[in-house]
Amino acid sequence: MVRHRNGAFAGMMVRHRNGAFAGMSAREEAWVTLELSRLTEQVQAMGEEFAARQRRRADLTALARQWLSEYADQGEALRHPARAARAAIPTGEPLDAAGPLPTTPERFTVVAADGAQISPDPHGIAQYYIVNIGSLVYRHGSDALPQAHSQPTLGYTEADMYENGQPVAGQLLDLRRDLAELTCLADHCVSEAPGPTVALVDGTLILWTLKDTPPADQERRVGDYVHQLERVRRAGAVIAAFVSRPRRGEVTRLLHLAHVGGDAKRFDEEPNPLERLPDRVVFGSLPASARSALFVSPNDINHRYYAPEGHTVHFFYLNLAAEGQRPTIARVEVPAWVAEAPDRLALVHGAIVAQARVTGDYPYALARADELAFVSGPEREALEGMVTKALLRAGVMTTLSPKQYYKTLTRRGRRKHRI
Amino acid sequence: MSNGDLRVGRILRASTRGFVVGCEVMQPDIPAFGSFVRVESQTTGSVRDLYGLIYDVSIEDDLFVRHFIGAGIPENVVRDQRENRQVPIEVSVLAVGTRQDTGSGMLVRHCLPPQPPVTLDWLYQCRVEEVRAFTSRFDYFRLVLDARDVPTDELLAVSLRAAAMARPEHERETFLVEAGRELARLLAGDPVRLEGVLRRLRYA
Repeated sequence: MVRHRNGAFAGMMVRHRNGAFAGMSAREEAWVTLELSRLTEQVQAMGEEFAARQRRRADLTALARQWLSEYADQGEALRHPARAARAAIPTGEPLDAAGPLPTTPERFTVVAADGAQISPDPHGIAQYYIVNIGSLVYRHGSDALPQAHSQPTLGYTEADMYENGQPVAGQLLDLRRDLAELTCLADHCVSEAPGPTVALVDGTLILWTLKDTPPADQERRVGDYVHQLERVRRAGAVIAAFVSRPRRGEVTRLLHLAHVGGDAKRFDEEPNPLERLPDRVVFGSLPASARSALFVSPNDINHRYYAPEGHTVHFFYLNLAAEGQRPTIARVEVPAWVAEAPDRLALVHGAIVAQARVTGDYPYALARADELAFVSGPEREALEGMVTKALLRAGVMTTLSPKQYYKTLTRRGRRKHRI
Repeated sequence: MSNGDLRVGRILRASTRGFVVGCEVMQPDIPAFGSFVRVESQTTGSVRDLYGLIYDVSIEDDLFVRHFIGAGIPENVVRDQRENRQVPIEVSVLAVGTRQDTGSGMLVRHCLPPQPPVTLDWLYQCRVEEVRAFTSRFDYFRLVLDARDVPTDELLAVSLRAAAMARPEHERETFLVEAGRELARLLAGDPVRLEGVLRRLRYA
């Protein structure tokens, strides 16, 4: 099964679960088994529910913005209880600060990386995985041709496929992909000529997926990750993680905490009216190209493993919409050595906005890195063909599982009307 | 037209009547409508090369590129889109002849090939001497004139001008007059069409 960096799937195995059509041919797309007529009423009800939710959200948004302004200067007092409450931890900036777009150097480089993987398929012809890292080096202030790279890695040995007795799939494979992305960025930064360079990774800097793993395992994995952050720092570059349409509600938790006077007991006992309001909605009032105040991520992993190495993850929200356009709020995460250096922070801020201006409201280099990493359905099929031939040449007879075999028979050219 | 082995692209799909090749934008010389092309035959038998005429060059649609239409695009984005992104060009070719090993030498025949080329074979632009040799007779006109879904009249006119350019300057006029005579014979029953082809030939 092909899984992309942010959970998008390609290929037949998972298509029926989430409706993703990536990798399907136009002919296959046209055939559907979903009984749309049975969904008509539900879809209509959903539309009405969403409209009602939007009206409720408008009231909550107004309340959140009011609190943001009201408690703007209480950051210092809230800093300690915020961490315990798993709320955004304020820095020295007022909570409602709006940093205008800074000037950027005439020439600077943006390096973006993204990854995709093909997970081991227990029903496939062989157990293997692919991690494919796409990257783009884009030079602002120059007409130079951007450098596009795509680096696939095949995992198939026992050592590749198992880790401490656990099969490498799901979160374990996600972690390998995350590390490969960051290593790719660090490699680019190290080989770059001196000059302002911004490394951009899609997603988050914090390895959230580690939260359920044993502490020793966490330490080792974060250690590998932080080592790559350190390589970026030593190369003289800066790094940021970019989250499009972020869903986290850490600032809204902070606002609730502020509203109860920083009292942990009241925070736990009193319902938070902003509980389901994502931070990005609150910051929809940011002027075009402006950033919010900086906050520190309250995640335990951040404080346990990133902070001691000087890489405490900070974040801010950024309105990427051009003047006069509806706000497009992204979350940007940076390590402490970027957050605490005004020139580095300004470079990240300016570079991301410059990148977004190329496409509209999303960094061009990240869009291209995603494209370079993406493994399409036909590519997956071609790889399967290569693997089959290699196995046959080596004298290994292999077949799909009966389940997968019958799926290949039933999922192509369904006997249904075309829509 | 080329003086070397200029690769146009690889065969994507083929039949005995023609084939389609895929190539990237930044081929050193994007093949032109009316160009003579050649693909080496991979099949057993006496046929060594298949000859064809490019009758369509199309650029596939791309949503990402469409996103930039009408916007002020930085030059490096234009270069990235053109040079890195492999926006596919499809080149359609009409089969018009073969080169066969007769045992005593090579013979160029104006006919449909006995078998189509194989997927991923390279398609080459014909060298000047190949164009001269192929167009030393006009038997392939009938294949072009009878082709369906092909701008046949325009194709003949443009390809004949290209064939004339492959000859020394003092031979060009004579070559075109002879080609015109052959067309007059083939299109004797359709004077309006003949007039159109000859007009195109004159101004192509």
